[in-house]
Amino acid sequence: MPTLIQKTASHGEVRFTFSRSDKSVNIMDEAFLTQFEKHLDALEQETVDSVVFLSSLPNCFIAGADLSMIADVQNEQDAVAMAKRGQLLCRRIEALSATTIAVVQGSCMGGGLELALACHAIIAVEHGKTQFALPEIKIGIHPGFGGCVRLPKRVGWLKAIDMIMTGRILPLKAAKRAGLVDLTCYPEKIDAAIALMRQKGVTKRKQKPWWLRIYPVRRLFFHLAMKKAQQKFSHLDLEQTYPAIPATLRLLEKIYGVSDDIAYNHEAKSLASLATTKTCKSLIRVFFLGESLKNQDAVKKGRKLLAKEDKSPKVAVFGAGIMGSGIAWVCTKLGQVDLHDLNSQVLGRGLKAAAKFAKREPRRLQWIRPVQNKSGLHNTDVVIEAILEDIDIKKALWRDVEAAVPEDTLLLSNTSSLSITAQQQDLNHPKRMAGLHFFNPAPKMPLVEVIAGAKTSKATLHKAAALAANMGKYPIIAADTPGFLVNRCLMPYMSAAITLFEQGQTVEHIDSALKSFGMPMGALHLADQVGLDICCHVGAHLGEAFGERMQLPSWLQDVVKGGHLGVKSGQGFYIHQAKKRSPHQVMHKYASTKHAIAMQDQSIVDACLLPMLVEACLYLQENEDTSLEQFDAAMIYGMGFPPFRGGLLFYYTQRPQEELAQAIAAHDLNVPENLSRLYTI
Amino acid sequence: MAKRDIVVVAGLRSPLAKMGGELSKVSAVDLASLVIAELLAQQSFPVEQLDHVIMGNVIQPADAPNIARVIALTSHIPQHIPAYTVHRNCASGMQAVTDAAQMIQAGKADVVLAGGVESMSHAPFLLHDKLRLALSDLQKARHIQGKIKALLKIVQAPWQPRIALMEGLTDPTVSMNMGQTAELLSREYDISRQQQDEFSLQSHQRAAAAWQSGWYEQEVMTLYAAPQFKGITGDQGIRAEQSMQALAKLSPAFDRPLGTVTAGNSSQLTDGATILLLSHKGKAEAEGWDILGYVHDWAWSGCDPKRMGLGPAYASEKLLLHHSLSMQDMDRVEINEAFAAQVLATLKVLEQSQVGAPDMSRLNIKGGAIAMGHPVGMTGARLILSTLRQLQEEQQNDLQSGLGLASLCIGGGQGGAVLLGVEPCQH
Repeated sequence: MPTLIQKTASHGEVRFTFSRSDKSVNIMDEAFLTQFEKHLDALEQETVDSVVFLSSLPNCFIAGADLSMIADVQNEQDAVAMAKRGQLLCRRIEALSATTIAVVQGSCMGGGLELALACHAIIAVEHGKTQFALPEIKIGIHPGFGGCVRLPKRVGWLKAIDMIMTGRILPLKAAKRAGLVDLTCYPEKIDAAIALMRQKGVTKRKQKPWWLRIYPVRRLFFHLAMKKAQQKFSHLDLEQTYPAIPATLRLLEKIYGVSDDIAYNHEAKSLASLATTKTCKSLIRVFFLGESLKNQDAVKKGRKLLAKEDKSPKVAVFGAGIMGSGIAWVCTKLGQVDLHDLNSQVLGRGLKAAAKFAKREPRRLQWIRPVQNKSGLHNTDVVIEAILEDIDIKKALWRDVEAAVPEDTLLLSNTSSLSITAQQQDLNHPKRMAGLHFFNPAPKMPLVEVIAGAKTSKATLHKAAALAANMGKYPIIAADTPGFLVNRCLMPYMSAAITLFEQGQTVEHIDSALKSFGMPMGALHLADQVGLDICCHVGAHLGEAFGERMQLPSWLQDVVKGGHLGVKSGQGFYIHQAKKRSPHQVMHKYASTKHAIAMQDQSIVDACLLPMLVEACLYLQENEDTSLEQFDAAMIYGMGFPPFRGGLLFYYTQRPQEELAQAIAAHDLNVPENLSRLYTI
Repeated sequence: MAKRDIVVVAGLRSPLAKMGGELSKVSAVDLASLVIAELLAQQSFPVEQLDHVIMGNVIQPADAPNIARVIALTSHIPQHIPAYTVHRNCASGMQAVTDAAQMIQAGKADVVLAGGVESMSHAPFLLHDKLRLALSDLQKARHIQGKIKALLKIVQAPWQPRIALMEGLTDPTVSMNMGQTAELLSREYDISRQQQDEFSLQSHQRAAAAWQSGWYEQEVMTLYAAPQFKGITGDQGIRAEQSMQALAKLSPAFDRPLGTVTAGNSSQLTDGATILLLSHKGKAEAEGWDILGYVHDWAWSGCDPKRMGLGPAYASEKLLLHHSLSMQDMDRVEINEAFAAQVLATLKVLEQSQVGAPDMSRLNIKGGAIAMGHPVGMTGARLILSTLRQLQEEQQNDLQSGLGLASLCIGGGQGGAVLLGVEPCQH
């Protein structure tokens, strides 16, 4: 095992330098903890004035505990032991008679921050990447190495609850303001800063805020905090879905004012119960899935190709509608963006939409140049189109664009349904064209489908994937078949929900069942949001390619003809008012008049999701390159499949294969041949 | 080194909008940056070729020290390209261009981005000096007695804000505001209200006609201004339906009740930016850039601050005499319309001079600041751009000399004039 922690001593000062060589960040895994404990054993025999902890990696102090360590924990005893081990480590640091100082440069997350909190003083080094967070809540647990106990003492309860409950990242300045950091210094002054903190010694901190000491006020405060936390997930049963949220608040209330020993015990127990939940395992899985998308081979290769060009790419986005302006805003992460539209009013609206996203970073808006006359294409590196979904219009645009741009400019189409191969037909250099499909709203939805047409070169595909990753998105390579990946699987789901409606289930019942399963909105609400006209259009298009299972009932056409288009016309399955929506009575005539017995929530979920699962299997059968993990990630990041369920495939493979096959058959669906492949997950 | 012929490669300006109007939420920095981004993109100009950036600006926002540098960096112009700001009051934009020309002529630069920008909407309100001192006393005071003393001083100090724009438009050495200097000229040169209004009407009509014919479309970009981002095309101050009756209704603005200078026959307070790209003939030809026109020479002159409006007459005379030219040789002349009375008085002075006065048919034929507005630090650059484009337009029809003159009056008693042409200078 390589040395992960180096010890140097001089003039009564001992320095421990975290210097990971086998990974790009310092993490607290088994080897790290073992080495640390050995060092502490030795240190406790010595007498020194001060102990300093630093990192030799410029971007990272300690990135936190090893996630796979948490993922592997199977039972509560192991989990308690793991927490106690970390707690003991921190307590031993705290118990040292010497002044202990953590010098933080780069990210200091989770367990790393808990270690720093155990020191007397934290010095933060000015560096773009210096930031602090306790992000455990995002993987369904809470800090377990004493962070829940120490953070409130240092920054006060209000800030601490905010940090622990949201996992918010504090950049250096915010950390200083919160009192988390005792001193900030520039990299050249680290030695001077250490000397100053040695001189200052230990600072005493007051319990903040004072009014939390009054029991009834405290009770009320935590009660309100719980209410607020629940508000965000009002449609979910938190105890079942995100147990960490209520459990963490309960823990924080419980450890207020009790002695450290008891507090640490509570913390370890609570952590153990959370770390063994399904939610925690699922969320860790989702985290790894996201990472695997961001670091997939295509992205790595594409990044290498992009790096050769040694300047930030200039992007042109065609179409300043909702998608186009959103994409333009996302592309400002890369550099200069020309937003093209023929209509100045559309351009104005597009800029205004981008300005809404720009509230926090107004300077980024300056990278967008509105263009009405197609100027500036001669030195454009990437063209992304988001114009009308009409193959002839798109082809005409590509002809125009190809005449104006250099030969190696990437041409990317943000089409949701048109084939990339078809768009390549008339191009002189079709190799450089690919699909780059964003989801609406582009700045918020993390997934981007990258699609290769028949003539797309590997280099183009890789570059497109790398560009998407550089925009901060998760790219997934999808097949050039109608609907690509996400929309193709979405259609049978929506169709199934509409069938349930036809059979007499009420709109609210269907949607609320799906929402309490964890979907971001019900399927029928989603249909309204997308626009019923678009649903019909896409349904017909997919139906052509895949047959009946994609088709929406024909009465939906009549509804559309009647002007009920969903949210945009104010009427669809619901009547949409400013802040309210209520089911639309007009739709009732299309539902079965027979009195239907309300189905169980789980049956509704199965009825909607099993067709999706079958479609997923068909997709996977056609595209063996797509891994199950990537597929699940696409479902979560592209259509908002509840992360705590771990993904569509992951969720259903919790059931034994036979039971699943029976369920599929019971819903009049063909049991996919490759069902067993799902179980290799 | 052979004398270099200074060329303007390209130029672009923003639409002009009345103070407090469509551009009022756009800072001077953003305004200029938007024009620069558009100009560089439209011209497909490689930004690394720039050697310097020079900007004229009068109000000089406190939050953008050396505004030229802030603008350059905001426009994503590479950091190693230096920038500085010039201030010659109303001629700041012109000064930026002549500085650029001088720099190129001296061989210190090959390509310079120069122009002017002004957001009069952002002119600040200032504190009275007594209030300012009292506030700083409060800050310095260490003890409660000192603080109370300072607070008392603050209470007693005049609290009304000083309006920087008004103070900027007032000459401190003669205590006259610019409107009053125009009134003085109208009295001394016997320029009636009727004459002034007629001249102003003509300015509106000419500007409106030029816009109507699409002449300005090449010169003025469409600007999408925050926070609404509606595309602004066209100068907002022009009134195509302006009439003598409407002008006659206005009351004097600076000398009530008997004065003749009104809001209708003065230039408008506006926001706007103009950017020019300058180089020399050798460079432009080597790179294959289009040439909009040539900057031959320029002259600055000083005069009585009370009669600052006559500045263009003296500067033009000086410049033309130096080249043994007269106004008759000029195909196009621009005299900035700070005030109708001031332009008409300048023409009277020129008539008496050795160079003569231009006829109305060659003067300000595309309208002027009375119709479009006068964003002070920007106008000088706009006049040069407009004159060059007018000459280029006339080149197709028969030109006599291919020469033009852009001139303006400068608060504080100065005048500036630039000699422009469609052909290189005859050395």
